[in-house]
Formats: sequence, C-alpha cells, structure tokens
Amino acid sequence: MAYLSLSNISKQYGDAIVVEDFNLDMDKGEFVSFLGPSGCGKTTTLRMVAGFELPSSGKVTLGGADITYKVPNQRNVGMIFQAYALFPNMTVAQNIGFGLRIRKESESAVKERVNEMLNLINLEKHANKYPYQLSGGQQQRVALARALANRPQVLLLDEPLSALDAKIRVALRSEIRAIQKALGITAIFVTHDQEEALSISDRIVVMYDGKVEQIGTPFEIYNFPKTQFVANFVGSLNTATAEITDPEKGLLSVDGVQFISSEKMDAFKKGDKVRIAIRPERFSFASEQKKANVLDCTIENIIFLGAVVRIQILIGNTKFNMDTFNNPFLELPKIGDKTQVTCSRQAVLILGPAEA
Amino acid sequence: MNNVSLDSNVAQEQIEQPKKRWSLVRIGARFWSWLWFILGAIYFLVPLYATLRHSLRMERDVIGFKAYQRAFEDPSFWETFLLSNMLAVATIIASIILIVPTAYWIRLRLPEARRITEFITLMPFVIPAIILVFGLIRIYSAPIGIPFTGIDLLQPLTTTKLGTYALITAGYMVLAMPYMYRSVDTGMRTVDIRTLTEAAQSLGASWFTIITKVILPNIRSALLSGALLTFAIVVGEVTLASFLGVNAFGPYLFLIGQHKAYEPAALSFVTFLLTWVAMGLIQLFTGGQGQAAGAH
Amino acid sequence: MAQTSVPMPVVKTPSNLKNWFGVTPFFLFAILFLALPSVYLVRGSFLNQEGQFTLQNYIDLFSTPAIVNAYKLSIQISAVTAIGGGIFGFLLAYAITVGGLPRSLRSALITFSGVASNFAGVPLAFAFIATLGRRGFLTLLLKDQFNIDLYRAGFDLYSFAGLSAIYMFFQFPLMVLIMVPALDGLKREWREAAENLGATYLQYWTRIALPVLLPSILGAMILLFGNAFGAYATAYALTGGRLPIVTIQIGAQIRGDVLHNPGLGYAMAMGMVIIMAISLAGYSWLQKVSERWLR
Repeated sequence: MAYLSLSNISKQYGDAIVVEDFNLDMDKGEFVSFLGPSGCGKTTTLRMVAGFELPSSGKVTLGGADITYKVPNQRNVGMIFQAYALFPNMTVAQNIGFGLRIRKESESAVKERVNEMLNLINLEKHANKYPYQLSGGQQQRVALARALANRPQVLLLDEPLSALDAKIRVALRSEIRAIQKALGITAIFVTHDQEEALSISDRIVVMYDGKVEQIGTPFEIYNFPKTQFVANFVGSLNTATAEITDPEKGLLSVDGVQFISSEKMDAFKKGDKVRIAIRPERFSFASEQKKANVLDCTIENIIFLGAVVRIQILIGNTKFNMDTFNNPFLELPKIGDKTQVTCSRQAVLILGPAEA
Repeated sequence: MNNVSLDSNVAQEQIEQPKKRWSLVRIGARFWSWLWFILGAIYFLVPLYATLRHSLRMERDVIGFKAYQRAFEDPSFWETFLLSNMLAVATIIASIILIVPTAYWIRLRLPEARRITEFITLMPFVIPAIILVFGLIRIYSAPIGIPFTGIDLLQPLTTTKLGTYALITAGYMVLAMPYMYRSVDTGMRTVDIRTLTEAAQSLGASWFTIITKVILPNIRSALLSGALLTFAIVVGEVTLASFLGVNAFGPYLFLIGQHKAYEPAALSFVTFLLTWVAMGLIQLFTGGQGQAAGAH
Repeated sequence: MAQTSVPMPVVKTPSNLKNWFGVTPFFLFAILFLALPSVYLVRGSFLNQEGQFTLQNYIDLFSTPAIVNAYKLSIQISAVTAIGGGIFGFLLAYAITVGGLPRSLRSALITFSGVASNFAGVPLAFAFIATLGRRGFLTLLLKDQFNIDLYRAGFDLYSFAGLSAIYMFFQFPLMVLIMVPALDGLKREWREAAENLGATYLQYWTRIALPVLLPSILGAMILLFGNAFGAYATAYALTGGRLPIVTIQIGAQIRGDVLHNPGLGYAMAMGMVIIMAISLAGYSWLQKVSERWLR
C-alpha cells in the first residue's frame, strides 16, 4: 500500500476549479516534484497535504490513516516555505527546537536533537544568530532543519529555492536531496523550474491549469512527453507542423521536406496535419554518422552557451535549433554554410493533431 | 493518530470530528474580532449620536435644526470660521512653499541633511502646542532687533494684528510640519522623484518645467492629503489661538460652550462632519493609509 | 552616500557648501519658530528672579506641591490612557487585520481613526458632555431605563476618570493606526510554520506573534503616553482648569505668573519637554527594533 496517497483531490473556489482530480500514490522515501507554471495548482495541492487548505473532494491518506480533515498542527508533516518563515524573535537553535518544545520534550532531548540538526546542515557556528543575520541560503537550511527536527512523516517543500541566487539554488538543491536520501524521508517538492525537478526527483508530476499532465520519472517525462504541454514545458523543443504522407511507413512532410518517424500513426491518415517535435540535442552533423533522417540545411546562427553550442539551422523553410556539445577542437560550420544534419526516427515525436 | 477501523460508522465519525474542529477554530477567532469591533463602534458612535441628538432638540419637544440655524446666524461664527479658514489656507501654502523644495533638495542633492531634517520634523511632538505658544509669546512680544546693538528691526509681532496672524501661521506651520513633511517625502519616494528628474533632465527640460510638469503633478496626492490634514488641524486649533489672542474658530467654539446650550453641540457636530469629509478625501487620494493628528 | 566634509576656507569645494543653501529656508524657519522659543524657555529655566544662573528652579520642581501634584496627575492620566488605549486599540487593530473582519470594516475603521484622532479638543469635550454630563444622553438613559444613577454612584465626567474616558477617543485610533501596519507585517507563513510544527493558535501568539509585536506595541504605548501628556485643549474645554494637570498649569502660568516665579514656570515647561523627549526617544528606538524583525 502506498505510504502517501492523494485520491481524486479537487479544490474549487466558487466557480474556479483550481485543482481537478489529482491522483498520486507515493512510496516511503520517495522524492516527488510537482512541476508546472504559476497558477497550475501545485502549491494548492501541497497545502492540502499540509492541512492549510481543505479539498473540496477527495482523500489524503498518510501511513494508512485518513488525514484529509486533520488540523494542520496534528498532521506530523514538515513544511518548508518559499519565504523561509523563520521566527524572527528566535535564534537558529530556538527555531530548530521549536517543534520539540511544543511537544514538551525534555530540555536535554531538545538540545541533543538541535545539535544533531545543526550538524546536518553545517551551521553549528551560527546556532545563536538571529534570522536577519543570516543569508537566504542559510535561512532555508535552518528552515529545513527546523522541519526535520520534528521527525515528520513527509517533508513538503513549497518552491524553497525560488528566492535564492542561481548558484546557491543549485548547491542547495543537491544538499536537500542528499539529506532526504540519507534520512529516507518521503518528500514533495513544488517548483516551476524544470531543471530543478529533473535533477533531483524520483518522479515528477507535471501540472497545468489544475490538471495532472503526466506523472513519470525525469527520464520518462523528458524523453517521452505524453502531452503537448509537457513536451513544451520540459526542456527545449523544436516544433513544426507536418503533413502525414505515408502512415504505414511513418513518413511525414514538413513544408516539402521528408521526415521519417517511429511514432505510431494508426490514428492518422494520409494528408492529416500533425504537430511534431524534435529535441535540439537529437540532431547531429551527418558527417559524423548517418541516422534514419538525413536533412539538408543552411546554418543561420551559432550561439555559444558554454557547455552547449546552439546552432540555428534552416531545413527547407523551417527553423530548427540544434544543440551540440562544446568541443574546442571541433570545427563548426560558419554562418551561411550549407551542410547536412541527421536524427533518428525515434527523435521525431508526434504531439498530436495540429490545430486548424 | 487515527486508525481507520473496519467499522465504517466510526470511521465516518472520526472524519467528521476533525472537519468540524477545523471550522470551529476559525469561527471562534472571528467571534472575538466582532466583539472588539462592536464595542469600539459603540464607544465611538454613542458620543457622536449624543451630540447630534442634543443639537436637534433646541426647540422643546421638536426635532429641528433650530440650533444650527441660530449657530449659523451668529455673525461671530462667520467671522471666526472665515478667519480660521484663511489661516489654514495661508498655513498650507506657506508649508508647501517651504517643505516641497526642501524635501526635494534633500532627496536629490543633500542626503546628508536627511537625518537632521527628520529630527526637526519630530520636534513638534516634543514641543507640543502649549509649550510652543509659551516660547513664541515670550520671544515675539519683545521687539526683534540685531543683538547687542539696540537697533530694532521689527516691532513685537504680537502688537500688530498682521504680526499676530503671521506668528500664528508660523505656529500652525510648526504643528503641521511633521505630517506635511512626511506626506511629501513619502510621495516623492513612491514616485522615485530622483529618477524622474534625471530622466527629464536628460531629455532637456528646464528647471521650471521640471518643477511644474514633473515634481508637482506627481506628488499631488501627497500634497492634498497633507493639506487636508493641515486644514483639519488649523480649523479646530484652540491653544495657539487663545493664547495669542487670535479670534479663531477654536476659541469661539469654546466661548459659546460657556454660554449656550445647543449651538455648541450643533457646531461640534458640524466640525465632526467637516473632519470626516477631510479625512475621507485623504483616504480617497492616498488609498488606504490613515493619518493621525494626535491630541490637542 | 558621499561624506560631506566641511571645506577648508582655502580649498575651493563650492558644490558641497552650495548644496546646503537649498535647505536654508527650512532651517531658518526651524530656528526662528522652533529652536528659538525652546531655547528661550531653556534659558529662562536656569535664571532666578534676579536674572542670574541657577539650578534652583529645577530643584523647586520637586518641592512645590502644586507642581508635583500636577506631574503626578498628568503621568497618571497619560499612563492609564496609554495602557488602556493601547490594549483596546490593539484589540481593534487585531480585529480588522488578522482577526478576519471584512475588508470594508477595515477601511471604515482606518478612516474613522483618522477622523477621531483629529476630533480632539473643544468639540470632543462637548460631545462627551452631551453624553455623560449631568444631563447627558447616556446618563439619563441609564437613570430612566436601568435605574442606574451614575453621579450618585460617584461618577463625575469632570474628573480624572472622565478625562481618561475622553482621552480614549483619540488614543484608541492612534493605537489602531500604528498597529495596523505592524499587524500586517506579521507574515502568514509564520503562523503556518508554527501550526505545521505542532503549535496551537494560542501558542503561536504567545511564542511568536506577541514577542515579535512587542516592540511595536510598547513603542506605540509610549507614543500614546506622550500624546496624552501634551494634550491641553480637551482638558481645558472640559474642566476649565479645575483638573490641575501639567499642561493646564503651564497655561495658567502663561496667562498670569501664578507661580510668582517665571523661572519656575519655564522649568515646569522644560520638565514636560524632557518627558516628551524621553518618550519620543523610547518610541524611536523600539520602532527600530521592530523594523529589524518585521522586515
């Protein structure tokens, strides 16, 4: 049986449906991200697990018990907020020990646990500082320690890294993941940053407009997006409108240029217009190795992004982005050159029928 | 932690209880809020109602506006009310002329003066009206001259009517200064007057254009709210007026309070309405932040 | 921010000095109408009847029964209305912010607070006379409908109790106007974090919200204290001088040297200024502290 279960969760404010039919079963120790743009309902769903919102319908089960209507201070879930929410009138140590003192644990037990937590987040030297004396990253770590000190059954993180600088964000997310793994604690992580979600989650729930678009591992979400939204939102994507030329052979035509795809075309017939997608990194130069699709193109622009070089190419009349690893010794073509690129048939994804 | 038992009724109960509890907590908190609010409303509204009621009962057994009629018929009322209004206008204009350039200057050219200026604007709290008038009278009832020379530049302000009016206006400016300055300063900060000025300058505007087209229009609401507050302070002011012997509305109100029974109530209520209008306008222009003037 | 240095007479640094000209009118005004009167009073407080320097006036402050009494009374009224006004004002502010009353009531109360805090002085005294005076609306209502005779029971509007009740009319609103922003500054997440960690609503208030608000509350009460201490017109309009608080005594001294000792009168005024200055300093400091936490 699942450790944490959200069944048919819906939330409605008046006429507005904010979350619709959310279903998720989580195993103990699993790290799941809710990923989506602002307003997609991910934070609302998280808050329903925390108890700050009540679902309009549906059930939340934790460790076998129905906690749907339990008051927040009895749920034994730990929450981390975007704005840290450290108590300003208490030191770091007092913040961390807050939950334990509420539970009336002995002073020595509290002290021991607080020290344990301080070690975990590497802030022993700051135990007696006040929140306003700490940086954002430090404050968030204290918030993490404060939530974990209580030994919660689930850790809920509401966009904890959004208020931080880019470098700290990257460092802290690995730290959070490491701590979560070490403690074996179940966690839900809400974010709008797909790189964050991809890099640290066991599974991702992609949400849009209150609905679940897809649930899967990062690998699945990225490589096999099930809906147009997921394909667009996660990773960058080239999209184009194509016409099916031969459903049996998997041939389509993008403005006269022939592509071959391994996607099933049973639902379509010759002449149908569909939306296709190809990830930029699936293109490579035909001079290296030829795959199923070999396409003539013109180099339009070369953008150096650091580890990746993004080459904007024109295939027929359609623009595509091609990403290739930066290699100082590889001679790249120049702008205006005509050359050939290649991609496999599996790289050509069909997202669905093209809107008229 | 609840254990979901096999008996579905008990399970249902165990779900209902927390659900009920969830909403009861919210309702409980709300009850006290309403209680405080209602108690407060009673405390504030009863005296106002009593004033209104009293003012309408001049004619025996009849609810009428006779008190108001009589009050407005008194020529002294108009004399003093008009005088107070004019003093208010003078105070507002003089304050604007003094404070707006100063606040602007400090923002743009002289941030170092900010601390001492803000300190100065806090002084009227330390020197309330009764102390201020004490000092003003003592100094300005003697001739103003160049020290040590025996040359008199100005006869005592308090001996001439004009001088007295000037003196009380200055006093009012002091009383209104904290509010006027804070209002203007906040207004300038909100619209980031410095960036606007630099943008105007880079587009080639002259100083006159900057003042009339950039500064003044953008702090309009701050000026209005400061002006309205000053107006409310001046018209009701009693301390400075009575000690300086100025025939203003405040002392007049006090005087008729000694002699008449119903007219004071009528005028008090009118004062209240006027203040309400002024504050309401301020709310309109500033959208939400109340302004307190404090005790007199 | 650049540090301006006072330019040496020889070195040409025109820009910095020129900048100070811009604030001259304001400083001149402050000197003429704020500093000078104050200085006059300060100076006068250190002079005896013969015009010589003395500290005797300040010593006499503590030995003249009329003055000691006045200060005692003023401090009592200011303290009572500061604490009472502070507590109830806080409750009102709480009700319209965190307490969850409708938004319309919040704007109404804030606007009204602006009005009520301005309504002090003669009209306020009259309003309360019409309410709780011997023939006031409430007095008669209680007598006729509930058989409660306030005045026979010992209540008198024209007394300490009565004046305190009247002062609340501008103390409550002042407290509301100061506390509403402070209460708005309480982050919702603090309460949620506290609940999440197992605290009840009451525990949240006693361990987090009230401690965080304490500097603001204390600072506001100190401001209320000063506000009441400096009030003159309301008291005068009510009792015409019968209630000998400090401001009334000073007023009497201005009109006619009732103490027969101008220096003593100035010292009395200065005593008041010192008390006001201390309360302003206390308020400012507590504001700084609270800003640190409510950032």
